[in-house]
Amino acid sequence: MYRGREGQWAWLLHRLSGLAILAYFLLHVVSISLIMFGEDVYMAVHHTYDLWPFRVGLIFVTAGVVYHALNGLRIMVMDFTGRGVAYQRQMWYGVLGLTLLATAYTAWVNIPRILGGY
Amino acid sequence: MAEQHIPKNTHTTPPMRVKVKILRYNPETDKKPHWETYPVEAQPSDRVLDVLNYIKWYVEPSLTFRRSCGHGICGSDAMMIAGRNRLACKALLRDVVKDGGTLTIEPIRGLKVEKDLLTDMEPFFDAYKAIMPYFINESPPPAGERLQSPEQAERMAHSSNCILCACCTTSCPIFWVNGSYLGPAAIVQAHRFIFDSRDEATNQRLNIMNQNTGVWRCRTAYNCTEACPRDIPITTIIEEVKRAVMYQQS
Repeated sequence: MYRGREGQWAWLLHRLSGLAILAYFLLHVVSISLIMFGEDVYMAVHHTYDLWPFRVGLIFVTAGVVYHALNGLRIMVMDFTGRGVAYQRQMWYGVLGLTLLATAYTAWVNIPRILGGY
Repeated sequence: MAEQHIPKNTHTTPPMRVKVKILRYNPETDKKPHWETYPVEAQPSDRVLDVLNYIKWYVEPSLTFRRSCGHGICGSDAMMIAGRNRLACKALLRDVVKDGGTLTIEPIRGLKVEKDLLTDMEPFFDAYKAIMPYFINESPPPAGERLQSPEQAERMAHSSNCILCACCTTSCPIFWVNGSYLGPAAIVQAHRFIFDSRDEATNQRLNIMNQNTGVWRCRTAYNCTEACPRDIPITTIIEEVKRAVMYQQS
């Protein structure tokens, strides 16, 4: 493992979250297109999304989307301004903090529902 | 007769005992690289190059690595020391390993390993040649020098410090997986000429930078900036080239 600093991990997380969002998006396309095979097939698949692993996964999807979006803004600031490069580390910690806050709030809202079974 | 006071021990600090773990590879006998460890006693102020020389001269003569000036100018002894790209001649032992600890040394990544710490630098220099690393100005030369203002010289001051050691390019995760990417060092060299007020091939070089092997492959991982032994703000330079390409195209 190369011992890179914040920039390397920011880039790696951006890639991984991007791939996760792509997978989530493709899952959407596939499951919605199932309506072509009739309502029963469509509903059967969509009921499985009520299972707890998918609902826990939703918390991670939120984390991935928020991180990817905020880090995307960080990259834009770096690309368009010299000051963005100078403060890239601080901006990344800001991105991480906001992502954690958003993920914690999503978990706080969703975990009682998952445990309560509704 | 005056008594001479010559200190018996010229070392002011006790020596360090470290294990030097080197990723070795001999293409004639090995299928893949393997680690070998050498116990070494050295001064904390010794350079990693001194330790490698000690191993080569007194322990394992077959150990292969490049070195030339030994003073951070020729850029030939770039290697991955303690997980990061550094010049062996500029890395002090005390900065990369603790007393009694293990120091790992590997070849730089993304280039074919010829033997031990020696890599094939041809692809790296091919990328360098691709950016036309020479002064282009077809107008007749003046009687004296082609003058620059201090501000114009400052514009290319950082990028002209590059010694082509490949620490930056071989620390780039994009270069590891995509060898066709020209890499940070070539972009720094391009910057040196693009922002040279006397050079006239700016558009040609910006077009090279705009190709899919050029500046847009940079994903701002900053490993290059951290690795540069000349403290060149490489990511800043790459971002300047990106903006120059964008303004040229708009």
